[in-house]
Amino acid sequence: MEKINLRARFEKSGRAVYISHLDLMRTMQRAFKRSKIPVWYTEGFNPHIYLNFPLALSLGVVGRSEFMDFAVTEPADFDKLRDSLNGEMPEGLRILEIFEPLYENKDVGFADYMIDFYSSADSCETLFLLNKMLAEDKIEVDKRSKSKGMIKTDIKPHINVTETEPCDGFLRVFVRLPAGLKMNINAGVFTDAFAEYSKIEFSKIYAERTKILCLNGQDFK
Amino acid sequence: MVKDRIENLLLKVKSPSRYIGGELNSVVKNKSDVDVRFAFCFPDSYDVGMSHLGMKILYSLKNKRENFWCERVFAPWVDFEQLMRENDIPLYALESLDPVKEFDFIGFTIQYELSYTNILNMLDLAGLPVKSKDRTDDMPVVVAGGPCVCNPEPLADFIDLFIIGEGEEVNLELMDLYADMKKRGCSKREFLEAAAEIEGIYVPSFYDVYYNDDGTVKNVVSNNPHAPYTVRKRIVRDLDKVFYPESFVVPYCEIVHDRAVVEVLRGCIRGCRFCQAGFIYRPFREKNSDTILKQTKNLCESTGYEEVSLSSLSTSDLSAINKTLTQLSDYTEKENVNLSLPSMRIDKFSGELMEQIQKVRKSGLTFAPEAGTQRLRDVINKNITEEEIMQACRLAFFEGGYTSVKLYFMLGLPTETDDDILGIAELAEKIVDLFYSNPNRSRGKHIQISISCATFVPKPFTPFEFEPQASETEIKHKQKLLLDSVRSRKRINVSWHKYSVSILEAVLAKGDRRLCDTIYEAWKLGCKFDGWDELYRYDLWLKAFEKTGVDVNFYAHRTRAYDEVMPWQHLDYLVSKNFLIKENQKAREGITTPNCREKCSGCGVSKCIGGACFGKN
Ligand code: SF4
Repeated sequence: MEKINLRARFEKSGRAVYISHLDLMRTMQRAFKRSKIPVWYTEGFNPHIYLNFPLALSLGVVGRSEFMDFAVTEPADFDKLRDSLNGEMPEGLRILEIFEPLYENKDVGFADYMIDFYSSADSCETLFLLNKMLAEDKIEVDKRSKSKGMIKTDIKPHINVTETEPCDGFLRVFVRLPAGLKMNINAGVFTDAFAEYSKIEFSKIYAERTKILCLNGQDFK
Repeated sequence: MVKDRIENLLLKVKSPSRYIGGELNSVVKNKSDVDVRFAFCFPDSYDVGMSHLGMKILYSLKNKRENFWCERVFAPWVDFEQLMRENDIPLYALESLDPVKEFDFIGFTIQYELSYTNILNMLDLAGLPVKSKDRTDDMPVVVAGGPCVCNPEPLADFIDLFIIGEGEEVNLELMDLYADMKKRGCSKREFLEAAAEIEGIYVPSFYDVYYNDDGTVKNVVSNNPHAPYTVRKRIVRDLDKVFYPESFVVPYCEIVHDRAVVEVLRGCIRGCRFCQAGFIYRPFREKNSDTILKQTKNLCESTGYEEVSLSSLSTSDLSAINKTLTQLSDYTEKENVNLSLPSMRIDKFSGELMEQIQKVRKSGLTFAPEAGTQRLRDVINKNITEEEIMQACRLAFFEGGYTSVKLYFMLGLPTETDDDILGIAELAEKIVDLFYSNPNRSRGKHIQISISCATFVPKPFTPFEFEPQASETEIKHKQKLLLDSVRSRKRINVSWHKYSVSILEAVLAKGDRRLCDTIYEAWKLGCKFDGWDELYRYDLWLKAFEKTGVDVNFYAHRTRAYDEVMPWQHLDYLVSKNFLIKENQKAREGITTPNCREKCSGCGVSKCIGGACFGKN
């Protein structure tokens, strides 16, 4: 059977942020099935709809520009495919566009996040503490290692805060973090590190992943 | 808004998508557009409750009516419950995220005795008094249905009214009545009185229970002119015509049964004497193969599920089973959907059926002989012979290539002796020998047999309702005997359910109103999720028994005389008590009863429905 590889860029927000990565796979497979598009099934004893996510998104984080690979068995109009799928998406999931993949999974290198730290503290004071943390020699966090259990890792060289914006009730931080196979730092690692460093009891941390980039700095697509 | 407040908590708990709703096919309406809001509560976790077919049926049925809105509510797991209590978040419904306290109805479906404490806990979490008498007119009417309400007495203090029997018609009648009376500004009492006149509605507060000196029930009398002397269960007549959902709510997280389910028949023709479902769901009614196919298609298309399963007490008793399976597998194969068939009886395991099943089932073989010897199988009217089991296994091993078999048994059945226990081990050994006698067996392939033993729990409305449950000493003896008599330890493994769970089941199943205090006490002491091993606290239950003066022996281990008034005697499940007595006597003599399709044994059901169960007289 013909197999045409495609990539969908999608958004995951609202109630859908509580869908775990594993559950997202199932949710998407069911949506594909309902949409009746000519989707490609894996071969073998137990055929199932082929789906692949180049970069997983943590539970609770909004994804503005996520990617999912699939395949179809016959040529189809991309916009029509998108519309058929969107007709079957549950609340909070929306396909933005469909195209032929340019890069491979292994090309993923970075991700951009927008993070709002809510607390009763003055957001300029929060910013002060953030800057102080970023000025330290090292920012050590516990990281799980396959061979050695929990180990201390310095994430400082990898954190690239690009913009900060003190707002009423929260501090908004734009940060670029390494992502992908070689080195991966989730937004949660960064927010945990800051919560621990600042000793601020954040009432809420809102995180959005806004973009996924390649190792060469190009937008992943 | 509950939503903003829970969102901050969700990332701190296991599997948060269970608590936020928004799943595909969940029904959201505008609350100002509806007359009656119904909070359908399943007193267990989301994963368990969302797998339950009855809830899916009634959810869709009610929501199909424009002026009703039915929402789902599950017991939050302990981690989230704690956060809810700490943050003053009341129990809310998943569709609107509104507190259930604001609803017109709170309805529980009660599938097993071990969920009773969760009912109290959910009412409390909703911010409501758990006892009916303490709930005022501005609070929701609390109703309950499901198989356990065939003896609702242990819950009589907590539930305003019980729905007896099948819910498809009576639920709508009840909600229509409510809508009308709400408009007219009637009181809750007036509503309950009017409801009590609907067939199938039991309002416990309209009945008084009197006891004999020996503690048994003397009689149960109605204290309200609107409440009938006995309440008869409701049934729907025609399964091809009864409402069936065209879509299911599709959860995000994995649940126990994560698939489309089509109910193919109701009731059971078999009459196994220990099986409550086999009696309380009579008479047998089935859907035709076209209905089943249509409903399968509808559900698969609306959900996108990759698996569909047929649901019933005994799927192979469907008259047109071969035709049905052929039609279905034609469709499912084309659509890349798996078809799964639980509840297949082994005596119907023909070569042809085997082929069909093999196409669709990849899991192991499961048999439920329930007892180890033919004598005892005759006592319980489980009409399966050893020959049939061996034949099915031969087919499965020699042609199907199966390498594992699960066997289900009960320990502590009436008249059981040590020989019956030894028979369990012998049967398993024979199956092992059979496996290795296969000349074409590929070398290196081995058989794995698991014997799983439950303790027999006598249940109301069965011929064994008179029987005592075996004591702990007896059961321990039987378990040890079984373990000692298994020779092929590598090939056969034996496991059993906790005894202390079975005893609680027996007490609650056969209890009377005096157990309301016990359940209340147990809940106060912290019992909840009793069906979950890791949370089950029998020590607390023992305290509750002691504190409320309940003697476990009286409820669980006592033989009840045929003329004893049972606590559930004022409920009519269509099967006559005389029939149960006759069946009990036959059991003691080891005489079997033919299945309903072979021959009607006159259990009383056909008389009540005015005609023969199978359309002929
Ligand atoms: S009346 Fe006869 S056929 Fe009907 S359920 Fe009873 S025994 Fe079976």
